Amino acid sequence: MQPARALRVLCDADVDFVVIGGVSATFHGSARVTYDLDICYARTSINLRRLAEALAPFHPRPRGFPAELPFVWDQETLRTDIGEIDLLAEVAGLGSFDDVQQHSSTVHAFERQFATLDLPALIQAKRAAGREKDLSALPELESLLEAGDL
Amino acid sequence: MKTLRPLTPEQLARAEAALLHPSPGSRIEAAKNYGVDLTLLVEQLRLTPDERARKLELASTARRSTRDRP
Repeated sequence: MQPARALRVLCDADVDFVVIGGVSATFHGSARVTYDLDICYARTSINLRRLAEALAPFHPRPRGFPAELPFVWDQETLRTDIGEIDLLAEVAGLGSFDDVQQHSSTVHAFERQFATLDLPALIQAKRAAGREKDLSALPELESLLEAGDL
Repeated sequence: MKTLRPLTPEQLARAEAALLHPSPGSRIEAAKNYGVDLTLLVEQLRLTPDERARKLELASTARRSTRDRP
């Protein structure tokens, strides 16, 4: 994954998105290394167009699917030339893009400014996702939350 | 919308104390018992969010170069 390149591309294309998942955890201080970028995006037609146009040069295709198959931009895990990107219109435990945005902060990184999930919301989403890899991240994230609340 | 900022020296000192000397019954203590290396979190918190992200990018690049090596 090249998170810097992917995030710059999305910002420069004015895509409405919030960084969620492991990269968001990194912004908050997680020491885990993640190899994909998870984003929640606004499902407006203009945003979908911007998203599609921004990623088009990087040959996006659903992970695990033959390259020639057509696909729709909806809840897809994409493999691109700049790494794997999970695109979510809704986040378990939080809701739609608007709900996710309400639980987000602005972060400055890679010479850009964009939104990322707040730590409490990230914990909520990980817990709701319920997969082993999400649940195993909780002790670290809860420690960061507790350390920041003191 | 709030902005995620680097910790102030005071916030960092409090966070370091909490992480390196967890209170009994705290979530931090539970994480330590779970196997989380809390010293790594201290290292991360000393960085700005941008620096944390750049460190991740470096790790990812290193992984890619190792994976792509013939």
